[in-house]
Amino acid sequence: MESSTIKIILEVFHYLFFICSFLAILSYILLSIISARETIEYVKKNSFVNYKHILSSPISPSITIIAPAYNESLNVVENVRSLLSNHYPNYNVIIVNDGSSDDSLEKLIEAYDLEYVDYEVDEKVKTQPFRKGVFKSKNPAFEKLIVVDKENGGKADALNMGLNISDSKYVACIDVDCLLLEDALQKMIKPFLEATDHKVIAAGGVIRIANSCVIKGGKLIEVNLPKNLLVQAQILEYLRAFLLGRMAWSRLNGLLVISGAFGIFDKYIALEVGGYDTNTVGEDMEIIVRMRRHMEEKNEKYKVAYIPDPLCWTEAPDNYKTLISQRNRWTRGTIETLRKHRKIAFNKNYGKFGLISYPYWLIFERLAPIIELVGLLYFGILIAFNLVHWEYAVLFIALAYLFSVLFSLVALFSEELTYNQYKKKGVGIKLILLCIIEPIILHPVILYAAIRGNIDYYFNKTKKWGAMERKGMSSGETN
Amino acid sequence: MHIYDYIVGAFQEAPFLIQISLVVVVAMIITIVILIIGLRATRSLLKIKDKEIANYKTQYEALIVDFLYSGDDSDEMSKSQRSIIIKLKSGVRIPSRQKSIITILSSLMDEVSGEMSDDIKSLYRKTGLAGHARHRLKSKKWHIVTKAIWELRQFGVYEGQEEVSKFITHHKREVRKEAQLYTVDLFKFEGLSFLDDLELPLSEWHQLQLLEALMTEGNPKICDIKPWLRSPNVSVILFAIKLAKIYNQFEVKEELISLLAHPNKEVRSAAISVLNDLFGYETEELLQLSKDAFSYEEVHVRTAEL
Amino acid sequence: MMKRHKIVLAEDNSTLSLLLKYKLEKEGYELLIAADGKQAIDLVESYNPDLILTDIMMPYFSGLEVISHVRNKLKKKTPIVVFSSAGQEDMVLKAFSLGASDFMTKPFSPNELVIRIKRLFSEFKTIG
Repeated sequence: MESSTIKIILEVFHYLFFICSFLAILSYILLSIISARETIEYVKKNSFVNYKHILSSPISPSITIIAPAYNESLNVVENVRSLLSNHYPNYNVIIVNDGSSDDSLEKLIEAYDLEYVDYEVDEKVKTQPFRKGVFKSKNPAFEKLIVVDKENGGKADALNMGLNISDSKYVACIDVDCLLLEDALQKMIKPFLEATDHKVIAAGGVIRIANSCVIKGGKLIEVNLPKNLLVQAQILEYLRAFLLGRMAWSRLNGLLVISGAFGIFDKYIALEVGGYDTNTVGEDMEIIVRMRRHMEEKNEKYKVAYIPDPLCWTEAPDNYKTLISQRNRWTRGTIETLRKHRKIAFNKNYGKFGLISYPYWLIFERLAPIIELVGLLYFGILIAFNLVHWEYAVLFIALAYLFSVLFSLVALFSEELTYNQYKKKGVGIKLILLCIIEPIILHPVILYAAIRGNIDYYFNKTKKWGAMERKGMSSGETN
Repeated sequence: MHIYDYIVGAFQEAPFLIQISLVVVVAMIITIVILIIGLRATRSLLKIKDKEIANYKTQYEALIVDFLYSGDDSDEMSKSQRSIIIKLKSGVRIPSRQKSIITILSSLMDEVSGEMSDDIKSLYRKTGLAGHARHRLKSKKWHIVTKAIWELRQFGVYEGQEEVSKFITHHKREVRKEAQLYTVDLFKFEGLSFLDDLELPLSEWHQLQLLEALMTEGNPKICDIKPWLRSPNVSVILFAIKLAKIYNQFEVKEELISLLAHPNKEVRSAAISVLNDLFGYETEELLQLSKDAFSYEEVHVRTAEL
Repeated sequence: MMKRHKIVLAEDNSTLSLLLKYKLEKEGYELLIAADGKQAIDLVESYNPDLILTDIMMPYFSGLEVISHVRNKLKKKTPIVVFSSAGQEDMVLKAFSLGASDFMTKPFSPNELVIRIKRLFSEFKTIG
């Protein structure tokens, strides 16, 4: 190849990267501004909401919490207690024991005084069959609890079983190891009931990281910043994603995912679209995209709502191995969902959904790691051919780094001014330092995991069918 | 100075793109430093505020409870009560203290009734808080107005009626909701008269709150709900159906039956549900008659609700 | 001199707790205050009160669980009065089936509470 051709190719790359970075930075700035405005509005609106009123209302709509459990024997009793102590007048809890091979069921039977009840399930969505069937408590204090023991079928299948059994208008799908705050259901149901000119099909909550927090009797007693740097970095990442990213997207009604760890759905619509897809590892994202698509096709006005209060707390991976496998799975979930619904992309029939949300997700979530990898390879080639203009390179890297620090700091600011969860003395300075080192400790790992996810998706056949690979439960998506 | 000259020289010679990037980098570093300082300052400010709030809470909680118990049986205030009022009044002038006092009073209002709640209401007036709240109704900021209306409602300040009624059709949803709740909470069914010509929709959440406001304390006499069942506003009809159900309005049977032909699906299924509730088996016949008019979904909704 | 009756009050609204404490101490009772169900159970276990007042909706352990614990685990017949909010009728029914002695719906009048407490003590004396 002639050197002039190489030059042209390099030039093109230059511009492509420049445009990509510029768009990314621009989108982040826009999202920050939108989220700031939305947050202020939200705080103002909720400063005088008296949740006591809906709490005591005898006509508040029914909600079912569906929590799939797979080999959770260690904590299941405690976790169920937390689910049962929500302050909402009209709800029940379905624990779906998804073919666990441990003694989860026995422990639940013992702790909650359960007995077998004959139950005929109306199979609105096809699922794996019962194993031991349905159990309820003999103790009226635990009347809200239903435990279902079924054959293993994966998280989506377990959730579908819950959808079949629930007799409520709304379902809250959560991970059993999540800790819900007591006012979680009240706050999450509000957007459904407040809508007048559109229908709210689902509402997502914030996921907060519970590592090192003190939890007793199913209640969060004390919020702590964990010592583990990897977990700390994820806290910052979650703050950015939830306080800035999702807040803004909810304002634009462009949320494509609500965390599998905690979300509420209009059950009727969730069943109308056929429940969760059991053939993907990203069932939490997939069902939202499918529900949105359904509403767009029916031409009905709808919204996916979002509640920024810290209502759901969960353990984050505290080692590289688990973190990488989690992110690997999220990447595959995203690819699967976007591919399955690629018809939406740039399709004006789907309105903003097709023209903004989907493409944004495609470029900044799905393709970003690949673009970055190509960039790195390109940089490597430049070094190899000794073509690097170091002053450009250094400045470019500095810009990228500083921008990510800046963005983290903005997220932190938003946290301090709104929910201020990390109140302990001395934590403030740690969080600031964290903003400075986070891009170095977390970002490379996430990039690596995302690339691995891509490789596994396209080349690793045994992993391709997510549902076959892992029958266990997974925490939800955050970004 | 040598180094400085060198840097300036190098900057001036650098290509344009580099110059811009350098400027941006410097600007970003400055922003970051400002943000960090801001974060530190906010944090210590919040800490001080938290302490203050906790401090006020214990201080005023004791004072208020003291006030409520130091009265004698006469209508006159006792000497110690008067001195407590003076203390509270001086607190009311400072916004953060005022907030704390209101929070304490309001949380008690939610829990106690009878004489005690009357005492709290009169304390709210005597400390000048009622006047403050009415004054804030003139604010241009919607959330301040809303908060003020909420207060007047929470402490049953009837005198605010005229000012508050102006907000009943306010363009900002939060404001008009609070104003409507005020009139309904204080004047019960009489306060619902705004429904007569309401064009704006009532959300489900708001309807629940209105019902709640109707149901607190006493057993107010229900008025004629027929006009609302004929309202052009669907959400008003739905609300009236709820009233019919809760207050067992057998006399609106005709209206409910005519709603079975309403173009809105939700209205139809709500009507079925309440007819079933009030008249039981008779409804089955009615449904048989107009079976074709109902989709599977409505029957489904109906059974789910029962 | 007659022994003062001990009462455990479980209530998460601190102002109401304080208010009731004043009121009931004025009436000659000894009050032990718990801010949540867990503390209430601890107090019941260590002080063996003559009466328990508990809110239904509370952090950690609900009032229902407090009743269940006292009746089933501790096997005690201590009278229990529950506070409920409007619209929690089925909770009240559950409380009674677990062994609650009386209930009061919030908002309630402290004076009425005193009357009910007095009545409960006199009933309990004649039965016990």
